[in-house]
Amino acid sequence: MNAPTGLDLASIPERIQSEVQRAIQRSIKGVEYFSTSGPTLGATPKDVLHSRGTMSLYHYRPMSDEIYRVPVLIVMATTNRGYILDLVPGQSFIEFLLKRGYDVYMLDWSAPRPEEKSLRMEDYVLGFIPDCVRRVQQDSGEQDVSVIGYCFGGVLSLLYGSIFPDGPMKNLICFTTPIDFREMKLFSNFSDRRYFDVDRLVDSVGNVPPEMILSSFEMLRPASRTVSQIQLWENIWNDEFVKSYRMFDRWATDTLPLAGEYFRTITKDLMWDNKLFNDTMSVGGRAAKLENIKVPFLHAVAEHDHIVPYDAAKHLIVKIGSEDKEEVMLKGGHVSLVAGANAVKRLWPKLDSWLGKRST
Amino acid sequence: MTDKINDPVAMWQKMVGEMEKGFNSFANQAMASPEFSQAMNRAGGVAAGAQKQLGELMEKYLVSMNLPSREQVTGLAERLQAIEGQIGEIKSMLSQMAAGSDVSQGSDTALRPPRTKRPPSEGGEET
Repeated sequence: MNAPTGLDLASIPERIQSEVQRAIQRSIKGVEYFSTSGPTLGATPKDVLHSRGTMSLYHYRPMSDEIYRVPVLIVMATTNRGYILDLVPGQSFIEFLLKRGYDVYMLDWSAPRPEEKSLRMEDYVLGFIPDCVRRVQQDSGEQDVSVIGYCFGGVLSLLYGSIFPDGPMKNLICFTTPIDFREMKLFSNFSDRRYFDVDRLVDSVGNVPPEMILSSFEMLRPASRTVSQIQLWENIWNDEFVKSYRMFDRWATDTLPLAGEYFRTITKDLMWDNKLFNDTMSVGGRAAKLENIKVPFLHAVAEHDHIVPYDAAKHLIVKIGSEDKEEVMLKGGHVSLVAGANAVKRLWPKLDSWLGKRST
Repeated sequence: MTDKINDPVAMWQKMVGEMEKGFNSFANQAMASPEFSQAMNRAGGVAAGAQKQLGELMEKYLVSMNLPSREQVTGLAERLQAIEGQIGEIKSMLSQMAAGSDVSQGSDTALRPPRTKRPPSEGGEET
């Protein structure tokens, strides 16, 4: 029964008891939290097909009795580790694809070594990706390859697809991929050419340190880290919450350094001159126009993406040259679009229904 | 179930959420100014220079103590990773060779499922 104020008086003792129990659990689980490591991530069985410096190509072992003809190559963002797409069983995008009958490969990155500071955009777009595509072809015995690019992995995939429009890419899927870098307002301001001396930075540090990359991401939502720690403490009695927190927190803070020359090009060509959007981008002297891409194309964007706002991504679907193209906006943020409980219900089934019929 | 409007825990959580949004929004506005960019990059430039100098000094110190630096340890780890990659590649090549010569060695390539899957709507089946 409710009191005139709307307060359910009968539930108060029960609530107090529940809160006391949670307080006790917090103390116990809090000790556990610091004495244990988080869940094992990226454990889906895989083989390393090829490894060259910062680049690794994985092949995941199939999990279904028959697979689609066309293999899938996932191109991960160069700032982060690929295990965001392979968290734990039941929350692994890779595992989902394998169980749905896809033959899955991933182009993942490790921290570039000091001597790799001279890696350029050309090395990524004209070197690493074609190299991996060729190895996927060899390994699978198929000529066609579908490519999935996440975040900046999507930008690299777009550059690759626009420079090699005659194949072998059969389908292209981008997740939260920016092309209009003016619309990444804060990043744009942080790298304002009047104040940001990228040459001095790269020349002095070589590879751009991961702390700097992480700071720039965290500055987009400066209060969120503190609030997430408060939420962790409030929910530390809840094993599922803690598990999820640890997975995402570990991944988010496991940021990679960026090769110096590569970062210099990103800053000058994309952040300053917005060349991809302006159709003036070239890599190694080869024009990279989005209109050159004619393969079936899917772009998944997140409604609440604070890293790649919709304004930075929305022109991609218009500028891409494909006739068979679709943009889908789903609830979630930059990461929850692709990983976690929401992705299981939203993006993954959508991707499966789109890609399956284009993979035969 | 307790009414959320009067639930102190729910009210606290809502307040924290609102504070987060408010602070983020305020900070984003402040950080969007050219003055912020100027100040941040000035500090960043100094920090980058200082970091480089400190790194070099630390490297010299560790060399004098006959200890590896963090960068060297990371480099070793990366090289180990590369060696693992090479082993994986050799394994893959051996598997392919074994499959090519019709010698069954438990090769994952030989055991791969057929590429015959059709999407559920076409084949009517579900994996």
